[in-house]
Amino acid sequence: MDVIEERQGKTIIVAGKGRLDSNTSKDFETRLMGLAAAPETSMVIDLGNVDYISSAGLRVLLMALKKVKAGKGKLALCAVQSHVREVFDISGLSTVFSIHPERQAAIQSVA
Amino acid sequence: MQDFKAQRNAMSSRLEVKLKNQLPEIHRLAEAVDGFFEAQGLPIKLAYNFNLAFDEIITNIVSYGYDDEGERFIDVSLSLVDGLVEAEVIDDAKPHDPLQAKTPDITAAAEDRPIGGLGVFFIKTLMDKVEYRHENGRNHLYFCKRTSA
Repeated sequence: MDVIEERQGKTIIVAGKGRLDSNTSKDFETRLMGLAAAPETSMVIDLGNVDYISSAGLRVLLMALKKVKAGKGKLALCAVQSHVREVFDISGLSTVFSIHPERQAAIQSVA
Repeated sequence: MQDFKAQRNAMSSRLEVKLKNQLPEIHRLAEAVDGFFEAQGLPIKLAYNFNLAFDEIITNIVSYGYDDEGERFIDVSLSLVDGLVEAEVIDDAKPHDPLQAKTPDITAAAEDRPIGGLGVFFIKTLMDKVEYRHENGRNHLYFCKRTSA
């Protein structure tokens, strides 16, 4: 999976592209956890180009959320594709994450 | 060695893939599965559901199923007959019935949310039927879903 990192103000935007599965989640975990370690992290994860997530991928997103929350920061997801969204819904994680259709709304929510 | 077969005719189709017990093989399988569903004119969402089921079960087999690092093979099949998509994963890893896994608490708060067991929960939720049997020293996991669901 390719990862693009951008900044808008104090918010870090992490945009993934490709598959987030057991095979690719380890690298993504290392990347995310490095970013999430700072106190009061403001982070948006853009899943618009992520066309596949397995439970291993969800686990990484959940770990990042816990880490950001532990540092009194905020994390939001955006642009989740509908078939990927179903996995969030089934697992009950739709209510755990703040999920926005548009990137800008997600950025505002964590600002 | 031929490890990839696809047969098609008007009434039914079948895909068989032999995988090594390595995680990157899941990606190779996913491409074959996507191609199978596309060739049948079935929705991408159905392909996603089957890919997720294969991914979760094969990740478990590869990660926890073997006591040594030796190369093993996992046989995966997918068939479409009269609107029913049937899949089977057969491996010679340790006997393990994934359906006995506890259902995860999907209402827990983020802080104490367990992720183990979620993969099997996905398979049970997304498929119409899931069955496990241990036969001749091999684990067989069968699951199916109607195309019109």
